[in-house]
Amino acid sequence: MENLSLLLPEIALSGFALLLMLADVWIPPKHGRVLFHLALLAAAAGLGLLGLCASNPAAYQGVGTLWTVDPLSVFFKILVLASAVLVLLLSVDAKRQDEHHLGTYSGLILLASAGMMLLVSAVDLVMVFLALELISISSFVLTGFERGDQRSSEGAIKYFLFGAFSTAVMVFGLSLFYGATGTTHLLKPVPQYSYATSTMFLLSCLLMLVGFGFKVSMAPFHFWVPDAYEAAPTPVTTFLSIAPKVAGLAMLLRVFTRLIPHPALELSALFSFLAMLTMTVGNLTALFQTNVKRLLAYSSIAQAGYMLIGFVTADALGREGVLLYSLVYLFMNTGAFAVAIAVGNEEGYGLEGFDGLAQRNFGLALVMAFFLLSLAGIPPMAGFVGKFTLFAAAVQGGFYGLAVVAVLNSVVSVYYYMLIAYRMFFVPPRTERPVAPGLYLFSGLALAAIAVLVIGVYPEPVLSVVKISAEMLP
Amino acid sequence: MGILSLVTFLPLLGALILLFIPKEDKTATRAVGVGAALLTFLVSLLTLRSFDPSLSAPEGLAMQMVERFSWIPSFSIHYHLGVDGLSLPIVLLTTLLSVCAAVYSMNIEVRVKEFYFWLLLLEVGMTGVFVSLDLFLFYVFWELTLVPMYFLIGIWGGPKKEYAAIKFFLFTLFGSVFMLLGILALFFASNPHSFDMLELARSHGAFGREFQIIVFLAFYLGFAVKVPAFPFHTWLPLAHVEAPTGVSVILAGVLLKMGVYGLLRVCYTILPAGYEWFLPFLVIIAFINIVYGALCAMAQTDMKKMVAYSSINHMGYALLGMAAVSPTGFSGASLQMITHGLITGALFLLVGVIYDRAHTRDISAFGGLGAKVPLYAGLMSLTCFASLGLPGLAGFISEFLCFLGAFPVWKLYTSLSVIGILITAAFFLRMIQKVFLGPLNEKWASLSDMNARELVSVLPLTVLTVLFGLWPSLILDLMNPTLEALAKLFPGMFQLVR
Repeated sequence: MENLSLLLPEIALSGFALLLMLADVWIPPKHGRVLFHLALLAAAAGLGLLGLCASNPAAYQGVGTLWTVDPLSVFFKILVLASAVLVLLLSVDAKRQDEHHLGTYSGLILLASAGMMLLVSAVDLVMVFLALELISISSFVLTGFERGDQRSSEGAIKYFLFGAFSTAVMVFGLSLFYGATGTTHLLKPVPQYSYATSTMFLLSCLLMLVGFGFKVSMAPFHFWVPDAYEAAPTPVTTFLSIAPKVAGLAMLLRVFTRLIPHPALELSALFSFLAMLTMTVGNLTALFQTNVKRLLAYSSIAQAGYMLIGFVTADALGREGVLLYSLVYLFMNTGAFAVAIAVGNEEGYGLEGFDGLAQRNFGLALVMAFFLLSLAGIPPMAGFVGKFTLFAAAVQGGFYGLAVVAVLNSVVSVYYYMLIAYRMFFVPPRTERPVAPGLYLFSGLALAAIAVLVIGVYPEPVLSVVKISAEMLP
Repeated sequence: MGILSLVTFLPLLGALILLFIPKEDKTATRAVGVGAALLTFLVSLLTLRSFDPSLSAPEGLAMQMVERFSWIPSFSIHYHLGVDGLSLPIVLLTTLLSVCAAVYSMNIEVRVKEFYFWLLLLEVGMTGVFVSLDLFLFYVFWELTLVPMYFLIGIWGGPKKEYAAIKFFLFTLFGSVFMLLGILALFFASNPHSFDMLELARSHGAFGREFQIIVFLAFYLGFAVKVPAFPFHTWLPLAHVEAPTGVSVILAGVLLKMGVYGLLRVCYTILPAGYEWFLPFLVIIAFINIVYGALCAMAQTDMKKMVAYSSINHMGYALLGMAAVSPTGFSGASLQMITHGLITGALFLLVGVIYDRAHTRDISAFGGLGAKVPLYAGLMSLTCFASLGLPGLAGFISEFLCFLGAFPVWKLYTSLSVIGILITAAFFLRMIQKVFLGPLNEKWASLSDMNARELVSVLPLTVLTVLFGLWPSLILDLMNPTLEALAKLFPGMFQLVR
């Protein structure tokens, strides 16, 4: 049992998650908030344990050969846990229908996080499958957590049906992969893709891509996104829009740019097309939304499209772009959702809730403007640095068409992001009642805002971390 | 911290101080807003002391007061500032017009704090564009002007403000994202990879002609929207008319100059082959801008709209001067940027003055105001004369230089463009006649003349207009050595068109 320490964070997190669900039984609903604090502690402990995983390349793989704990996976594990922490902060102050089962709620968030942490480490397709299922099942339940709300249940069912279908397709792809190569292990030295021309192998890759594409909301597998996002409790929406997406992208990076590089399979043109489709579909549909959760849902599809650029170019700069953008996206999207929760607690989630926010709480409106501008990629916000890196990768890799489509999409996206700014700053408020975010929400918001500004103005430290993490990809 | 950083970021300091002033205290807010702009202007004047116009480098780009240190080493991006005879006058223009706009806008009563916050932030972006010598930094500052302008138009503007604001935002961004791709293409084409304008200009020989043409077009999209060059001008009348007076001044006086400046600073020095290839088109666009802009202005009954369209016409002169690629043409274009900033800035302020009183800008709604408000009539007439190019005023010098420079190369288009001057004279004279001459329209019998706030914001511009008209070498000496060096940078240019 050497290097068991590599898995300590996941083990600890899962243990805590089960404990939290048990604690639900004993802790009365009126003290339910205690459970959030415990979950936060658990996530923080997980972050601390990740420090123990920092090791040398010789010890990347511990027991078995199912996973590898390299800088790339550590980077994404930190992102996932940071996202869990932020989401738990947001959850404390979000309005709920009832205070029951908060232990289950926070436990499921931790379990989903553990699944994502396993996913970004996985180097065996069986492991990939198990991790994906752990994430999916936790997310299905979380989406339908507002049991009293029919929409919530409807969204959860939709999500589940789509999810189950894509999983089935992916498993079929896995079996074909095994048939073509005789292994599910991705690190095994395989004869230089001599089977690359084999139809069975290509088909297996494409079918697996359906499963992965579902997770990262790649078009045309994105249909579940707006319904599930709108139906889920908003903190869960925040979580779903960030953590599974970046984890899925990390796994795509590992599998399809390093272990089975897609340029070798001559799939780059297809992936480039899918990236363009994803961002265009996301942006064009977002233009017509009147609900902030749906708007941010479509925006998150478009954001996934931008991140796919780094996956398409499949070179060092592209990988760095994905890593950097994932980090930035974590902060800016959490921030935007945090403001949406603060407003939504009072006014509901229609866009008209933002009317005149600048006059009700100028600070809140200003940071929301920061997050929106960051999402739109306007300097000096962090989102610009991320997009800049991704576009740079596209230009360097010679994907000029993709670059042009991507920048045009940025222009389109400004319209709907500014639609919120327009409501906040230009439209007079319908009520003078000030909007006051709770303490936990405020701290999450402040963290996100500081990160977005600091990374935007001085990105060098983050860039160098990203560089190290991306280069060490096995 | 060098003096250029100080000039660039002083307004930001002012904006941050503003955040700590309670929003009920409008007097203090205005004091800080105007004070920060004024202080920035005074500091920017200090640069004149250490600026040596005659300094030149063998390769033609002699930057002064340079500040350079590594900002993002991963992409070899530097924080690189510097000025030469091309940019320094525009920087001074920027800081001056910001003061005028801040002073004039003291009559704004709603959301004063936000107004000055965005105005000062805008000044940071504008100054930054003209002093940055690193393309990444240039782009950051370029985009930094967008957001404040969006809010300034959208909150304090006229009836169609929201539409004008988003149209301005989307148009400019549409152009500038292509510029971003151009910047990236240059970065990856250069060896070693660099965003440094000076280094890129030195290594322009390494870029093939086709590459230069494509990248030139990408940059051109960004700059043409800002100039605005036909057919990307449609955002301008809307934005200028809907913007509040002070902001129109900045829009016309400074933001348009970013386009012309960018064409000279980036396109011409880094992509000479692309620039050369584009010259025949540039001169046609200049011609269209001049004549079409003037004709559109002629058709307007709204004074502000007329002035807005006259900006398109005036920027056409600058483009014409740039198409000449000669010392005369370049100094004409550069001087045109300055004089247009002064004159049109003053015109927008003066139109604002009458609109604040009469709440209409319809030319035919007035009549006989000359005797009623003599001071206003005098200033307005003087500025109109300057704008239509009356000798003795600044506008004449710059337009004359543009024509003089362009004529030897583009005889046909230069001759045709003269029509523009004629039309400009026609619509300005018509306006003077309808507003100030004839019998007094009794409706305006109680109209008051300009007050101290308005005079303080307009007079500096008028004084400079007269001063540069009578004594142009005052400013030409500042820029000519640089422009001469620039024009002689590529002796081989024009082989094609000549």
